[in-house]
Amino acid sequence: HAKPVLLKTPIAFGSNLPALGTPITWVSEQLPLVSGGQIKMKIYEPGKLVAPLEILDAVSSGKVNSGYSIAGYWAGKMPAAAIFSTIPFGPEAPEFAAWMYYGNGLKLYQKMYDDGGYNVHVEPCALISPETSGWFKKPVNSVEDLKGLNMRFYGLGGEVMQKLGVSTSLIPGGEIFGALEKGAIDATEFSQPAIDEKLGFYKVAKYNYFPGWHQQATVFELLINKDTWNGMSDSQRAQISTTCKASVTNSVAESEYIQFEAMKKNAEVRGVEIRTWPKEMMDQFRSAWEEVVQEQRKDPTFAVVYDDLKNFRDNYKLWSSRAFINRD
Amino acid sequence: MNNDLRPPSTVLLADAVDRVLRKSCEYLSWVYAILIAVILLQITLRRGFSAGLIALEELQWHLYAIGVLFGVIYAQATNSHVRVDVLQSRFSARAKSVTEIVGILLLAMPFLFVVFIHSLDFVAESWRINERSLAPAGLPWRWLIKSMIPISVGLMMLAFINNLYRESVLLIRGNNHGN
Amino acid sequence: MEINEILIVAMFASFILLLFSGFPIAWVLGGVGTLFAALAYMSDMYLDTMIGIDFNSIGLVVSRIYKIMDNWILVALPMFIFMGNMLDKSGAAENLMQSFQELFGRIRGGLAITVILIGIILAASTGIVGASVVLLGVMSLPAMLKQGYCKTVAVGTVASAGTLGILIPPSIMLVIMADQLALSVGDLFMGAVVPGLLLGVLYIVYILGWGIIRPHSMPLAENLQPVTWRVWVNVMRSVLPTLLMIIAVLGSIFTGIATPTEASAVGAAAAILLAWHNGRLSLKVVRECLHNTFSVSGYIFAIFIGATMFALVLRELGGDEYIESFLTSLPFGPYGIILFVLGIVFLLGFVLDWIEITLIVLPLVAPVINALEISINGYGVIDQPIMVWFVMLVAVTLQTSFLTPPVGFALFYLKGVCPPEIKLGTIYRGVLPFIVLQLLGLTLLIMFPSLVNWFPAMVYGQ
Ligand code: NA
Ligand code: NA
Repeated sequence: HAKPVLLKTPIAFGSNLPALGTPITWVSEQLPLVSGGQIKMKIYEPGKLVAPLEILDAVSSGKVNSGYSIAGYWAGKMPAAAIFSTIPFGPEAPEFAAWMYYGNGLKLYQKMYDDGGYNVHVEPCALISPETSGWFKKPVNSVEDLKGLNMRFYGLGGEVMQKLGVSTSLIPGGEIFGALEKGAIDATEFSQPAIDEKLGFYKVAKYNYFPGWHQQATVFELLINKDTWNGMSDSQRAQISTTCKASVTNSVAESEYIQFEAMKKNAEVRGVEIRTWPKEMMDQFRSAWEEVVQEQRKDPTFAVVYDDLKNFRDNYKLWSSRAFINRD
Repeated sequence: MNNDLRPPSTVLLADAVDRVLRKSCEYLSWVYAILIAVILLQITLRRGFSAGLIALEELQWHLYAIGVLFGVIYAQATNSHVRVDVLQSRFSARAKSVTEIVGILLLAMPFLFVVFIHSLDFVAESWRINERSLAPAGLPWRWLIKSMIPISVGLMMLAFINNLYRESVLLIRGNNHGN
Repeated sequence: MEINEILIVAMFASFILLLFSGFPIAWVLGGVGTLFAALAYMSDMYLDTMIGIDFNSIGLVVSRIYKIMDNWILVALPMFIFMGNMLDKSGAAENLMQSFQELFGRIRGGLAITVILIGIILAASTGIVGASVVLLGVMSLPAMLKQGYCKTVAVGTVASAGTLGILIPPSIMLVIMADQLALSVGDLFMGAVVPGLLLGVLYIVYILGWGIIRPHSMPLAENLQPVTWRVWVNVMRSVLPTLLMIIAVLGSIFTGIATPTEASAVGAAAAILLAWHNGRLSLKVVRECLHNTFSVSGYIFAIFIGATMFALVLRELGGDEYIESFLTSLPFGPYGIILFVLGIVFLLGFVLDWIEITLIVLPLVAPVINALEISINGYGVIDQPIMVWFVMLVAVTLQTSFLTPPVGFALFYLKGVCPPEIKLGTIYRGVLPFIVLQLLGLTLLIMFPSLVNWFPAMVYGQ
């Protein structure tokens, strides 16, 4: 019989942020109940113990025994990592889950860490719906309007924007509002409507664009130090895996539920104009993304994972293009 | 009578080491002048043109980081770290030396040792994966800036060993002269 | 008490105690953290606790140090320090002193008022208390004493006017507070404008009043010149360059040309221009400024890394929860808790500097304050009105702590430049009325939060 485990878990997003941080709080509440006290999880808010970008190293070296983040944060260490949290024009949540759990996704995910020399076990532990495409101070009617724009934009989506003449920067969360308000940047991307609301972008940037082509769904991961993981009983491991799988369901539900309220307020009370990218711009974003993919494929692991996902998606399309009623 | 006119606190070797550290840091302090230039350049580029800014943005904190890390050594070599010296100013020279020695051995060295040892792994890990900026347009060679930690902390320890030597010499010297 | 609670209390106690050994604060913080990590490890081995600290886990300190390096907001730290240094060398303050003196010469206490006004202007151009106090002291103390000012009035004025720099933006302290609490630097800078000016006004009113009650404590100068147009022109000519520099910094933030972080470099460059304008710029001056900036930013950073070790171990011991549950269990109500926290900050200010208080205490109490049910008007513009207001209360309290013995940094700096006949005791007596004034200002801010939040809301409002 294994000993009770205390998972000390630094997290990458504040537990007060809906959908970004709330799922792991839910997991930490469920684990002791599900396991009859055999597993406890203590959450450390971002930076309290270790900064978000340091979580992987901390878990791998056993300085903490677990951590909650997104794989995209390790893109500087392993370019392929970005794919496992989100990529531009990537899958929606159900499709993402299909590839992850029944396709090769999770196997490749774990393999990436193993091959990368990281001593961690990974569990997808939340999955959330699309982000908004960003907040702009002026309307954007064509890619011409994007040229010379200063925008805060994260990750591979930022590369796409650069290709279209946007000069992107990575201003940290706390400074975005100030920079946007004072015009140091003209536009910003951050997260979903219900989360962006908390940062107050609607006060100064009145054009909110959709769809969030750069981030259609986002997977969050629970990393557990492999020695800790191997030291657990089968039952304890199952309790963690199952609770994380339940959290995936829970977070899809939560993130789908909370957005319209914020959008309604934005449109009706806050004078925000909610807009949709025209088809031709979506096509331009997409072809810029194809260019970025070609550059990223230089990394062999990125190429392998990307091809696997693409192969899966091509097959999936057979089904999805016929099975679902077109959204309108 | 001693015909050496230098103040009795002079410990030649220790002073020489401090002087080298101090001089090197003084050259290094130009990173802040470069930092001013880089920020002004970035503002100009952003307002005037729109060029690759992320690398410049990152260069800013790289320069800042080098400045503050080695600034710690400079502060040490020029003895300007903040102290609460209300009581210390009433200590005898001997008591001061003893406090310094005990402080270095009990407080500073264990702490710096922990940081130093772990920073070696930290850099090795970054080197192993040839870590670069998270932003594709950002700077490569993350291990380079990370390696500033063991280098500067190592020099801090050196400066402390130097201090330890100085204070020990002073203590012994004080004893020899009987006061 | 449980064992880890005993360790938490013992950790704070040993820190305060060891501080008085005179060993540098930075290494006392880091050393105490390391020692208590070892104690916690032994406690797990022999006393059956479950703290979970070992040699491997405290290695997190390296990631934490890296996080302080990889910090875009803190880039402003050396830049503002450089700006203050360069301003000090630019000769701008001497020019101001001379022309203001001609202007206010006829008012009783005019010289003291001049010192306060220059204190405000220095404050708005830099964020460094030490530099302002030293500069004001060197420039004005001999003049005030020669004119027959009572020693206590003279040193009190210099010390308190010099400390305004920490509050009036730009301020390094506010930059670091914003970083620690994830608040907008802009909100804090603008929030500090009215409180800073309020204190300045309180000082001036006090000087004018005291001049009426005790006229011979601040006699008028002999051989007064009439205030002619020439005097006004001189004032304008001396104020203008400095004013331009202030506008360069705050203006580039307002207009969005630069972020507050970048504005710090604009200020540094403007200070170089100012020195050049005054004919004081030389390679030697630049070099001295760089060296000093290197040293000051270095010792502040050393305290950062010491404090991060201390905070890491404190957190692993459960210090956050312990202090949070302690504060929330106080039977005082929301305002009572705020007053209690301010009281603690004030008391800690007797032995600690603002850096340690900002780095260790503020993050500990922030969640509690944030959860208090007080409605503070943010005018729909400020994101966290309670926190902006609370930070300003802490800032004013800390500013007061610069003036409180035994560890009042402003007092030490001043002692360094005083003529020898002025004893530390005289300085202590001199700052006393100003401490009372600051507490009065603090009370006003507590009673009227709009004094803090109205201005940023107006600046940033649509
Ligand atoms: Na200031
Ligand atoms: Na004090």
